[in-house]
Amino acid sequence: MILFIARRLLSAIPVLFVVSLMTFFIMWLVPGDISAEIGGADATAAQIEQIRQQFGLDRPLLERALQWYGNLLRGDLGHSYLLDRSVLDAVAERLPVTLPLAALGLLMATIMGTLLGILAAVRHNSWVDQSAMVTALIGLSIPDFWFGLVLVILFGVTLGWLPTGGFVPITEDFWGWVRCMTLPTLTLAFTHMGVLARMTRSSMLDVLDQDFVRTARAKGMGRGTVIFKHALRNALVPIVTVVGVSAGVLLSGAVVIESVFSLPGVGRLIVGSIQRRDFPIIQGGLLVTAAVFVFVNLAVDILYGWLDPRVRDDR
Amino acid sequence: MSKQRRSASILRRLAVASVFAVSAISAGAALAQVAGGKVVVAQTSNPPSLDAMATSSAQSRNVTMNVYETLYGFDENVVPIPILAEGVDISADGLTYTFKLRQGVKFHNGDEMKASDVLASMERYRKVGATGNLLKAVESFEVTGDYEIVFHMVSKTPTFLESFSSPRAPAVIIPEEDANAEAGKTSLVGTGPYKIVEYVPDVHVVLEKFADYTQDTRHEGPDGFGGKKTAYFDQVEFRIMPEPGAQVAALEAGEVDILDAMPVAAARRLANDPNIKLYEGTNWAFATLILNTNEAPTDNVKFREAVQVALNMEEIVGIATEGLFTLNGGWAYPDTPYDVGDIGAKDYYNKHDVERAKALLKEAGYNNEPFSILTDPASAVHSKSAVVIAEQLKAVGINAVINQVDWPTALKIRMEDTGWQGWTLSMGIEPYLGPAAIVATLAGTRPHFVKPDPVLEDLYLELIAGETTEARKATFAKIQQQLYTNFGIIKLGDTRNMQASRANIEGFKAFRFPRVYDIWRAK
Amino acid sequence: MTAEVTLADNTVSLRADMARARRRRRGQLVQRLLGHPSFVIGATILLIFALVAVLAPVLAPYDPNKNNYRFVMMPPSPEFWFGTDAFGRDVLSRVIYGTQVSLFISVLVVICTGIFGTILGTMASYVRPLDGFIMRGLDGMMAFPGVLLAIALAAALGPSALTVVVALTVTFTPRTARIVRSGVIVVQSMQYVEAARAVGAGHARIILRYILANALSPVIVQLSSVFAVSIIAEAILSFLGVGPPPPAPSLGNIIADGRTYIQEAWWIAVFPGLAIAIVVLGLNLMGDGLRDIIDPRQRNER
Repeated sequence: MILFIARRLLSAIPVLFVVSLMTFFIMWLVPGDISAEIGGADATAAQIEQIRQQFGLDRPLLERALQWYGNLLRGDLGHSYLLDRSVLDAVAERLPVTLPLAALGLLMATIMGTLLGILAAVRHNSWVDQSAMVTALIGLSIPDFWFGLVLVILFGVTLGWLPTGGFVPITEDFWGWVRCMTLPTLTLAFTHMGVLARMTRSSMLDVLDQDFVRTARAKGMGRGTVIFKHALRNALVPIVTVVGVSAGVLLSGAVVIESVFSLPGVGRLIVGSIQRRDFPIIQGGLLVTAAVFVFVNLAVDILYGWLDPRVRDDR
Repeated sequence: MSKQRRSASILRRLAVASVFAVSAISAGAALAQVAGGKVVVAQTSNPPSLDAMATSSAQSRNVTMNVYETLYGFDENVVPIPILAEGVDISADGLTYTFKLRQGVKFHNGDEMKASDVLASMERYRKVGATGNLLKAVESFEVTGDYEIVFHMVSKTPTFLESFSSPRAPAVIIPEEDANAEAGKTSLVGTGPYKIVEYVPDVHVVLEKFADYTQDTRHEGPDGFGGKKTAYFDQVEFRIMPEPGAQVAALEAGEVDILDAMPVAAARRLANDPNIKLYEGTNWAFATLILNTNEAPTDNVKFREAVQVALNMEEIVGIATEGLFTLNGGWAYPDTPYDVGDIGAKDYYNKHDVERAKALLKEAGYNNEPFSILTDPASAVHSKSAVVIAEQLKAVGINAVINQVDWPTALKIRMEDTGWQGWTLSMGIEPYLGPAAIVATLAGTRPHFVKPDPVLEDLYLELIAGETTEARKATFAKIQQQLYTNFGIIKLGDTRNMQASRANIEGFKAFRFPRVYDIWRAK
Repeated sequence: MTAEVTLADNTVSLRADMARARRRRRGQLVQRLLGHPSFVIGATILLIFALVAVLAPVLAPYDPNKNNYRFVMMPPSPEFWFGTDAFGRDVLSRVIYGTQVSLFISVLVVICTGIFGTILGTMASYVRPLDGFIMRGLDGMMAFPGVLLAIALAAALGPSALTVVVALTVTFTPRTARIVRSGVIVVQSMQYVEAARAVGAGHARIILRYILANALSPVIVQLSSVFAVSIIAEAILSFLGVGPPPPAPSLGNIIADGRTYIQEAWWIAVFPGLAIAIVVLGLNLMGDGLRDIIDPRQRNER
């Protein structure tokens, strides 16, 4: 098991290297630079050149890239052009927004999705099954930003129950935090539960039909026991995988949610930095999000290996 | 006819709203001001920097003009008035400006402002100031006393005080200790009624009342960027909210007190809402279309003339601003000192003359070359006017295409000499500053429309050398005529802006930045 | 992106799919599909939208890009069924043409993803020395959050419908390639492939005739969800300002333009939103049908 984890950790290095190379490549392609944000529409060519020199943008890309990798080896991700803080600080202060948002969204999506899925499987081919699957499909078919805006107007403006946006740190005011996270979490969960519901339903149907479940039922075990003890545990393997993939997806889905609900998360940081051409943040931010993605998937693999020991030998 | 009626009715409704706001203000003035509490102002994006002199961004100005002050600045009527200066003596030959400073003015760090601080600020402005040529006319600075500093000029520059008062990237006074700070790395100390206590990007900038603020008692109340400023709120939060819809929702829910930019459709919907006040500012910006005079087909003046006469400005600016506009072909706001009427514009502005345009195109030998309009989505006026312009140009047979890219890319492309034909730009601060600032962007070695126009260049030099307002106005009339001869830049119209607040915010007035002093929350 | 997840549920059932694929008998396929209710409903919806897209010039009552200052933000009426937008343009006509653009983008994404995914996946599994190299590259691409990759690419290439296609193809290809690779690895060890090899068939023939033909079914199911996901992804990119640029309408950029007015002129964002929901629903139903047919064990029970 330790060997398995170590091997997976090592394999993360080339992945992250590829990510950073891609980022450099894209930044090389992107026209314009930080001088637009600082100099504005009336900056003269001389002013633009001066700004480029100040940030070292006049040096060749290869030299900048080599220096960046050198600094990275010393654990230094660089300094933002605009935000007056190191890249690590800028990203670290956003993680307490994005990680709980993604985690809560995932948790809620998993709960809602598996419940819907179980319900549908147990009442297979009934109206319950059908309405559960239609609900799941609707969640899958609606763009999340659109759903979020509708929630804001309904709960924030018309009913006035919840704040329309903004962020309150959990350390400052717990209930304030709960209130401001409710709508974003709900939006993420609703638009992501569909996959989980469908996955749960089909793997439950598979399992419910297998011999050992039939046997258990024939032996007179209660319906609930059969479902939760035998069927669900066996249906869990594919569900866990979907959860793992969702985790990465939720990180990027959070970009949209953060804009709709004015949350200061990592996604908005990176999007804003792309628009402002704050290269160090783009470079470092993407590396950190990729690392989070890789480690979440590692955790999923470990969990997966624990649920289904065959996987470990497989890879 | 019905077209005009409709836009008129929109304006009337908005006018009613702003009258309501004005009456609310006068009623408020009679009430006692209430000190204390917190006010929340929403704006769309982060200030790129809180180092006021290092940026020309309006999002920065919104915050920093409550925090820093300049020696001279504009009053409500855009006339320079002393703010941190007691006054200025200009020598008869126009070569020395002796600024006397107000005494006893405290910085946020407790130190008193002296001439050495002013010197340090000016020297720093030369290095990091975002309006590079603001101090170009000054040869050297000389401290002649604790409260006196002399500017020695390179040559006589009659318009110096105006450009020195510019809030574009203001020449603010900061303490001597920050003299060598790189751009964006100062201690954020100023002399204004509020001081910066926290900046979390994408969240907010928090200001706190500066208890030892030194009021300028020469005035009754605030006047433009100066005057007597009184901080009532203990705390001010500038909240960064990217979605306009979310900003309006937050205002309706009472989570935000002031919107720096109120979407017009929402303003119309909430015009009669007792919880909301609206403030309409006229003379906000010029909507323009810049043409590349260096590349075909726009290198041909006949082609440019065809574009000018083809356009229906009412539709362009009406749609782009959602009705918040004034038709004006002149290059100064109506009834301002440099307004020269429709000289030059009379036969060209808002003609929407398809036949004339087609004839001109024929004369120009236009052969369906692409007309690529550069624009960016960060400004609704930029992107929407590009869409409407493209449709109108297609209607006269011009092969118009839209090239919508993000702001940094747009600025990169427009610095190229080729690869674009049109560029939509909303000029906010230049028309506010006056003719010299506008023409400066159209003169020099690299004007906005790429290829220098020698006639305009000479007129620019004549303008800034003009001794009196009358003389300069006469030159400006010639400039406006030349702009309608060269057609390198097309004036689309004047735009207005809309701000909004909760009804219990008293004392707020539409201005170029949200002044958070001299406003308070009614009990 | 909501839907990348959808792609994953295919990965999971992959091994089962492989087994099922082997048992599939081609002749009955069409018949079975036509007998499957959700496939029929889904395919009908898609067909209607495809017809709308193709017949847009005939169906649209107005020019979708024609501004009209006199009719700005008019609510739905007999004259303008879906109302008008902030430019006074007919929302119904824009939705019709937007369907054309959105479907066009998605179909291109499906084709490109299918081609690149198949090539990369086959190469990785068939040419062993390349495997590690290709797979690490794909892992890197997968670890790059899809939305951010798309925004960065849009900034680099400039927003256009083609940029959207490139960005989405880059985002979806890795997972498709993985599915192809696993499928090919399973098929490769099958007896008939080894038999073909023993008979001396060339690499190209083995890959095309035996391996791909048999590893294709999970890819088809996968691509049906890529189709659905692309339509939503286009809307999300438009929301973030990097979708197809104006004035051409896409379902996503109509919503994105209308979102500022969702309280004042709900019709601008609601109608294209419904169009997206319905067409994606149809695609998902069709995908379900495809999956069911390829999975005979489930079919017997229904």
